[in-house]
Order: sequence, then C-alpha cells, then structure tokens
Amino acid sequence: MVPAELMVRATLLFSVIAFGGAAALVLAWAVQNGQFDNFTRAAEGIFDADEPIGQPTDRTLSAAAGERDA
Amino acid sequence: MILFLGFVLTFGSSWAGLVYAPRLQLGGLDSVGEAGTAQAYPRVRTEQEERGKRVYEANGCLYCHSQQIRSTTFGNNADIARGWGRRRSVPRDYVNDQPILLGTMRTGPDLANVGQRWSADWQHKHLYNPRMMVPKSIMPSLRFLYEIRPMVDGKPSPEAIALTGAWAAEIPEGSEVIPTEDAKALVAYLLSLDQSADLPEARE
Amino acid sequence: MREMKPNAVPTAEEMRRASLERVAIDASCRRAVLTWYASAVFWLLVGSTFALLASFKMHIPDWLTESGWLTFGRVRPAHLNTVAFGWGSMAGIASAIWMMARLGRVELKYGGLLVVAAMIWNIGIAVGAGGILLGHSTSIEWLEMPRPAPIILAVSLLIVSACIFVNFTRRRERHVYVSQWYILGAMFWMPMLYITAQWLCVELPARGVVQSAVNWWFAHNVLGLWVTPMGLATAYYLIPKVIGRPVYSYYLSIIGFWSLALFYSWAGMHHLVGGPMPAWMISASIVGSMMMLVPVGAVAVNHHFTMQGHFHELKHSPTLRFVVFGAMSYTVVSVQGAFESLRQFSEVAHFTHYTIAHAHLGMYGFFTMVMFGSGYYMIPRMTGREWASNWLIRLHFWSCALGIIMYFVTLTYGGWLQGLMLINPDVKFIEIVVKLTPYLHGRSMAGCLMTFGHVVFGLSLVLNLSGVGKRFGGGR
Ligand code: HEC
Repeated sequence: MVPAELMVRATLLFSVIAFGGAAALVLAWAVQNGQFDNFTRAAEGIFDADEPIGQPTDRTLSAAAGERDA
Repeated sequence: MILFLGFVLTFGSSWAGLVYAPRLQLGGLDSVGEAGTAQAYPRVRTEQEERGKRVYEANGCLYCHSQQIRSTTFGNNADIARGWGRRRSVPRDYVNDQPILLGTMRTGPDLANVGQRWSADWQHKHLYNPRMMVPKSIMPSLRFLYEIRPMVDGKPSPEAIALTGAWAAEIPEGSEVIPTEDAKALVAYLLSLDQSADLPEARE
Repeated sequence: MREMKPNAVPTAEEMRRASLERVAIDASCRRAVLTWYASAVFWLLVGSTFALLASFKMHIPDWLTESGWLTFGRVRPAHLNTVAFGWGSMAGIASAIWMMARLGRVELKYGGLLVVAAMIWNIGIAVGAGGILLGHSTSIEWLEMPRPAPIILAVSLLIVSACIFVNFTRRRERHVYVSQWYILGAMFWMPMLYITAQWLCVELPARGVVQSAVNWWFAHNVLGLWVTPMGLATAYYLIPKVIGRPVYSYYLSIIGFWSLALFYSWAGMHHLVGGPMPAWMISASIVGSMMMLVPVGAVAVNHHFTMQGHFHELKHSPTLRFVVFGAMSYTVVSVQGAFESLRQFSEVAHFTHYTIAHAHLGMYGFFTMVMFGSGYYMIPRMTGREWASNWLIRLHFWSCALGIIMYFVTLTYGGWLQGLMLINPDVKFIEIVVKLTPYLHGRSMAGCLMTFGHVVFGLSLVLNLSGVGKRFGGGR
C-alpha cells in the first residue's frame, strides 16, 4: 500500500474515533452531571429577576411615542 | 439515556458509513486494460488536457454542466435518450479525476461525452460566443480566452476562429481572433471527454 | 443551578443586581461581537453584489465578459463563499459568543483574541474570494477557496472554538441550556469537518467518486452541523427571551438536538442521487434524510407551542419577526428536504433550480433571517443605542421577507418545470433554456429586493455604530 493511501485511512479512522468517542464522553458527562434531571428548571434558567417570565424584552417597534405598527 | 448513547454511536458511524466504507469499496479501483498503453481506460490525460481541465475548474463550468450519465432506470432514461451518452457512468470513469467534476446542476447539457459530439472548430466558436452557434443559448461568452489581433500581412492565420454574422462585424477590420493557450487546452480537454468505452460493470 | 421561583416577587435589590450583571456581560462581549457581526454584514453586502452579478449574467450572458474575473463561473462561487463563510459563519459566531456568555452567566474572557480571530477570518475570506475571482477556484463545491485561504480560516476557526470552550468551562451557571448544546456541537463539528474535508478533497485527495462522497458529506454537514445548530441555538434563546415565556417542552428540544446530530450527518449523499455511486450509499442517505423529520418535528412543535398566545408580540419586536420567520422557514425547508431526497422526487428535482430555491430557503429564509433577528437584539445592548429608525427596520424586514418568498416560489416552480422537461427526452434542450428565462428574471428581481433590504440593514447598523439613536432603555 502506498503511504498516501495509508495516510488517508489513518485520517478517516482517526476522525471516526474522535467524532464518536468525543460525543459519547460528552453525553456520559451530561447524564452524570444531572444535566437532564430537571427540564422545567432548565427551561426557566434563561430568565432574570428583572427580566422575569411573563415580561417581553423587545418592544423596539412600539417604543417610540405614538408610533403604531405597520 | 441508553437511547442517547445509541444516537451518539450511530453518528460516528455515518462518517464510517458514508466516507470510510465507500473508500474501502472504491478506493482501490484502477484503469482497465494494460496500464500506460493506449488501450487502458480511462487513459491518463495529456499535459494539455490536464491544463484544460484546470481552465474548466477555474471558470466554473461545473456550475452549469454535469459530467455523469444516469442509469436507464433513472428519470425515464432521459440522459441516454437525449444522446448524452451510450451507457451510464460508473466509478471507474473517474479514477484519474482530481478534482472530480460530477456537477450538480444542468443549466447546460451534460458533458460526460461531449468529446464525441463536436469538433475543435465548433468548440472554439461556441466558447468565443455561444450565441454564434446556438442563437438562444444563455451560456456566458468566454471571449477573454481569445485574443483579437491584427492579421499578419493581411492574411488570416490558420489558427484564427472564423467568426460569422454580427460577431465578425464586431472586431476591427483586418484583425482576427486567435485562441490563447488556455482556450486550446480547454478545447483539448472537452474533446477528451468520452465515456464510450465498454465496461462490464456499466452494463444493465 | 440558580433557583427560580416564578411566583416569588423579586426585591428591588435583586432586580438591580440582575440587571447590572447582565449589562456587564453584554458589555464584555462588545468588541468581539461587534467586530464579528459588522464584518459579517460587510460580507453580506459583498456577497449580495456577487449574487446579483451572477443572477443577471444568467439572462444577460454577454454582460461583463471582456475579462475572466467576472465570468459567471467565478462570481457564482465567490457569492457562495462570501455569504456562507463571510456573512453566515461570522454572524453565527457573533451570536454564539454572546449567547455563550449570557447563558453561562459570566463575562466574556479573551474578547481581544476573538477580535484578532475575526481579523484573521476576514483576511481568509478576502484571500479566498479574491483567489476565486482571479481564477484559482478548486471547483469543489463549498470548498472552492484556494490555498492559503482554507488554512487561514482553519486557524481562526480553531481560535474561536478554543475561546468558546474555555469560556464555557468558566461559566457560573452550571446547567447547560439547549442553545449551549447546539453551539458547543457546532464549535466541535465544524473544525473537524472543515479540516478533514479540506484534507481529503484538496490536500491529500481521495480518488474519483470517493472524493464526491467526502465533498457532499462535508457540504451538507456545513448546513446541518454548523449553520443549523447556530440558527436553532439563537431561536431557542431569543424566542423565549423576547416573549418572556420558557420554551414549551425542554425535553423535546434536547431530543431534537441529539437526533439532529445523529441523522443530519447521513443526509449529504442525496446530492449525488442517480450518480455513479454505490446504490446503498444513496439509500442510507435517503433513510437519514427521512429520519430528519424527527428533530424537525421536535423543533417545529416546540416553537409553535412556545409562540402560541404570544403572536401579538410580533407587532412590537423586530427580533421576533425575523426569528419566527426563520423558524417557520426551517420547518418548511427541512420537511421539503426530507422529501427531496426520495428517488421519485429527485428524478425531477435533481440538477435543477428547484434545488437552488431549496438551498436559499435554508440559508436565507431560515438562517439569515434568524441572524438578522439576533443582530437586532444584540447590537443595541452592546452599543447602548436604540435603532435609529423603526421605519428602516420595517423596510428591511419586508423587502427581505418578500424577496425570499418571491425567490423561493419563482425558482421552485421554474425548477420543477425544468426538471419535468429534462426527463422528457422529446423536449429539446434549448427549449428548456428558453422556457426558463422568465424565472431567471424573476430571480434577479427577488435578488434586488433582498439586496435592497441588506443595504437598508447596513445603513441601520452604520447609524447605530456611529452613535445615532436614543440611549438604549431595555427595549421595553
Ligand atoms: C450559465 C451557465 C453556463 C456556464 C457557466 C457554462 N455553460 Fe456551457 N452551456 C450552457 C447552456 C445553457 C448550453 C446549451 C446551449 C448551448 O449549446 O450553447 C451550454 C452548452 C455547452 C456546450 C455544448 C454542449 C452540447 O452538447 O451541445 C459545451 C461544450 C459547453 N457548454 C461547454 C462549457 C464550458 C467549457 C464552460 C466553462 C468555461 C461552460 N460551458 C460554462 C450553459 C453554461
């Protein structure tokens, strides 16, 4: 087998292991870490005390006085 | 969670499946016939044809032209019925192509066998201005591959492209249109496009 | 994870602290995000110019043919590379940097390095696009940029990935939100994809049709594992944030993420349907493409139910308009894509403008619109200025929205006709060419509309960056 051929195979094999392996590790970590334990809290985590649930945060088009939407 | 793990492993396998496996299956393909002889197919391209292929790549012919004939069972057998080729294309047709120019668009006709269809003269005229040969064509003119220069001693050189109609009137009196090396190479490449060799794996 | 008690009323002190914290995080991203986003918009304008040139050249084939560098076959890849790698990737990276800081609840570190990376990226695109125009395109779709552009881009990409991962490990919010999953995925996949594809197509090319397999495995995964995750990450953050309602089903969103990772990577081979490839490869790809209906369904259902009862917010929020338009396009384009991979469908649609329309619905209707939305949200929070003119925002939205709809409808219909004629050997080829010209004109008109929108957006951005506009007051 020519060396170039060998290189191509090595590259391919390496990427298979890297792709699959890394994803498996990450997932194992996520499960152990409790990332998938409480979905409600997870979904609400993006809100703040001053931008709580129930409060829209982008009213740009209505901000100007008297301006109505097109 | 076991489910998730399954997902991940399968992801790695797409790489294996789509890239690695075809490599194992097709990577070892080679020309048929005695290598290095004129009978070998596909034959190694000449230097000029290889240069022409680079002109083809540089000017993006790929974005309008494919180079692949599809099987008789695909799309009403239209590829073969249109006379674009006598048989379907198979992986072996491309073993010498780097990069491979299969293409994904057919704004223009398939070129896998265009070498069988037109002469060098037609190709030059067509490249200089496609509308000179096919009035309604929308293919871009490649006149930047041609040089307009005054005739030597008022006589046209043998290489000159014989323009007709409005295109002849466009260039200054007493001048002629000469293909550059790139244009000649491109035409040599186009003439080399020919997948008519009978390959056992292409029979259906 | 931070405790959230939705019912407890926060004290004034808590509110003040939360607000200061968020403002500080936004401020820490300022230089990096503005550099990436403004560069992106610059490339959007350049790319749109190439797009118009290419589009007009398709029906005015003798226009600008005196020299090679503006020939159709060079302008077309120059367009793709400037919009996909210039605009799309840079805007996506800008949003990713910002969202990762916000979702990790920590100020961005290495912002300076990210600015440098943006500069390197810009050089890469300039070299790449310039190289294509000068006649050095590799003619490998999605990998046209000649050396040394790919190396420059790879360096920048690695810096960006590294910065994002390092910042991720510094996060204060322990929980990883779905947007972060998507971004981390994209940041991991893209360098891998890009480097291996470059390696196996250009540097150490695989021979013959294997190269096509690598090529389309890559090209399709750029969409699926780079562009799509960044677009969805943005939608998953901004839709809930703007309307003030958590995502409808967080569980579905996580399932969507992992199934996307799994199925999308299989889908690329349908670009080679009917070609000289082993049939099983294409079949595997078709299965993968159909399976994509799972994550797409998850995303569609989720966004719809999140929005339900809040559609009136569309009136107020430019961000929401763009992002929701994008999310809806995502559903349409993905369902369409799944069916497009079917053989019966491909027999007509393959090799035609139908595919071009589909690609634009994905890259533009979905991704670009989401990125506009993200810009409208991020930029005022970084510059401290409101957008100068609501009128310009509306003009931008409507010209782009109508433009892409017109583009999609025109070319989908025209492309389908083209496909039907192509597989009917009784129709002469030149007749197809002639029958198609009205649709090519339509495309050019749609392109003008979209480009006009981009110029308007560019103007808004320049005004904002140069300090025109009211002081930013939280957008409420
Ligand atoms: C904008 C799309 C477009 C581009 C780019 C393009 N072509 Fe064409 N080409 C066409 C169309 C449409 C036809 C059919 C009409 C005609 O024959 O001119 C065609 C026809 C041809 C034919 C004649 C095929 C036949 O079987 O009759 C050849 C040869 C050809 N093109 C070569 C090239 C080469 C070489 C390039 C690159 C330098 C190129 N084309 C770039 C659109 C294009």
